[in-house]
Amino acid sequence: MEKLSTLIKNGVSRRKFLAGVGATAGAAAALNLAGCGGSSKSTTTAPPTSSTPTDADILNFALNLEYLEASFYLYAATGSGLDAADITAGSASPYKTPGTVTMGDAAMVQGLTTAQQEILNEIAFEEQAHVRFLRSALGSAAVPMPDIDLSFFGPLAVAAKITTAATGSGSFNPFSSFDYFLVGAFIFEDVGVTAYAGAAPLISAAGVAAGYLAAAAGIMAVEAYHAGYVRTSLTGRAIAAGSASAYPYLGAANLVEDLRATLTVGASAAPSTSGSVETTLTLPTGLTTPSSIVAASATDAVGFARTVNQVLHIVYGSSTVGAKSGGFFPSGVNSIFATTTA
Amino acid sequence: MANQETQILDDILVKSRRKMLTLGVSSLAGMVMGAAAPLVKAATVSYTDADILNFALNLEYLEANFYYLAAFGTTIDKANAASTAASAPLIMLSGKVGTAGTVSGGSKVPFATVPVASYAIETAVEEGKHVQLLLSALGSSAVAQPAINLGTSFQTLAAAAKIPSGSAFSPYASDATFLVGAYVFEDVGVTAYHGAASLLTSSANLTTAAGILAVEAYHAGLVRTTINYLDPTGATIAGYTNLISSLRATLSQAGLLGVAPSAYDANPDDFGLATFSVSLGGSGNTSATRITDADSTNVVAFARNTTQVLNIVTGGGAVNGSVAVSPATGVFFPAGLNAGPNGFK
Repeated sequence: MEKLSTLIKNGVSRRKFLAGVGATAGAAAALNLAGCGGSSKSTTTAPPTSSTPTDADILNFALNLEYLEASFYLYAATGSGLDAADITAGSASPYKTPGTVTMGDAAMVQGLTTAQQEILNEIAFEEQAHVRFLRSALGSAAVPMPDIDLSFFGPLAVAAKITTAATGSGSFNPFSSFDYFLVGAFIFEDVGVTAYAGAAPLISAAGVAAGYLAAAAGIMAVEAYHAGYVRTSLTGRAIAAGSASAYPYLGAANLVEDLRATLTVGASAAPSTSGSVETTLTLPTGLTTPSSIVAASATDAVGFARTVNQVLHIVYGSSTVGAKSGGFFPSGVNSIFATTTA
Repeated sequence: MANQETQILDDILVKSRRKMLTLGVSSLAGMVMGAAAPLVKAATVSYTDADILNFALNLEYLEANFYYLAAFGTTIDKANAASTAASAPLIMLSGKVGTAGTVSGGSKVPFATVPVASYAIETAVEEGKHVQLLLSALGSSAVAQPAINLGTSFQTLAAAAKIPSGSAFSPYASDATFLVGAYVFEDVGVTAYHGAASLLTSSANLTTAAGILAVEAYHAGLVRTTINYLDPTGATIAGYTNLISSLRATLSQAGLLGVAPSAYDANPDDFGLATFSVSLGGSGNTSATRITDADSTNVVAFARNTTQVLNIVTGGGAVNGSVAVSPATGVFFPAGLNAGPNGFK
């Protein structure tokens, strides 16, 4: 497979695509702003100051998110993170040094049934595969894993009003049981779907021809399978428990949704969406009430999209415009989009 | 070759992705990626976004009627108390292109459990909204609802898949058999929208298709998760998923006749719920479920081209030996799909 960097070198510029084919105007503007803003991550070499995001920039942004997801699921499934060979920098990346994972409570989830363990294994494997796939597609342009903070679940849960203790006794620990794990996974999965949905239409014509749109759409579908799993499990276990109060994890997931909405309240929405990009989980009470497994528009049942800025506000745990780091990424993401611009 | 490649890329940049369609996605990908992929048979007519959306509309007519019948006991164009209570869209069958047909078979499932009943209602409403959206987007170009068989079609497929007592299989008999019926459709919806996504020329249409693709994958995840919970050992319905996926993969071989929709597709292109072996981090192998229907290397969901999808929903009607058959008829679409002059049927 010819690498993206070569495609880009061949002069098929994203600017030309935007001008010639006319990607959605709002998205293009947002991305251009982000590109001009650059980043000032202090722990690595200065990043490029590209005025026009390339397909590699878009895929590298996705790679940062996959590093986070893969690390979370691998620790939950096995007690260890990504293999050292899966986090290194490509030779042409301006970011040179792989980051480290602050583990917090990260550990293999105990007390699982065989079926539950096999689920964790599956999702961990699939996110690991996405890391490897994106790194392979990016080749020398692949950014290394940034610093990742898995102790952020505690403060996030406090911000979401799930609990009052950020650490220690009474704090939220997604590695402590299968149900807590589901809520932890819930934080990521719908966001992954919307991030890919937002990015897919931005891929250049050359990237489409090279199969990158198909790849992004295919990874998005996998994220939606995962999100479907997590939301189905939360709903099913709440039904089995008999009431929302008997299964507080469903309510906790909805508090996560509220927090995500609060964090992104100032950011401009993806061009395809208006209003909320969340679908509250409900508890069906009988044989004639619908569930709400799918996160999609209530009008036409089309899945949501999020912009790069919206995704960053969530993973940084910050609604501040100009935020460069925070939350799950204490040193920021390794990306030209590292700073929130809206 | 280099000149041709440059010309093609320029054409795409200046005009649209349309040029890519007439040359074939895989051939272009092959050129760009430097692979020695043979030039596949070029389409001789150019089709439009409307043709692609109309293909999707045929599939949504099928899915929506299945879920409406299972959840409410009615078709999408006839409201009853149950569909009204659920606020399910009542579809005005406004499509004009092609020959309007009727829906045969299907009945309300005597649901016994809250999770499955509530999932059926949710899915019915969402598929109804997809029909509504596509009808609205297509306007006067929308195809009519074709003849749809939701009765004996399942028995034909179940028998072909070698499901025990398949010739008597009904997805309307119980919660469990309903899930198997849903399983037949959902992963196919994912692959169909995925295959179509790269072919759409309008950015707005692409965004919408990607959004519907996500919803189909949520549904597929929901169905596979629920089957896995109900039959963790694969003794019954989870075992059936392996048989169905295997049949779909066999029917999907029709893709060899045409253009592979994605460079990331593998053979076979479908997996049931049987566990598989994975290696995590630097450690050894362990067992994993397969909630996600994707390849085991890159874990990118499969895509299918229209011939592959047609061959599945018509039970092999799209191919005769090594020759494509159009219109494809059979199983769910006894009179074939409706399409415009250059559309997919």
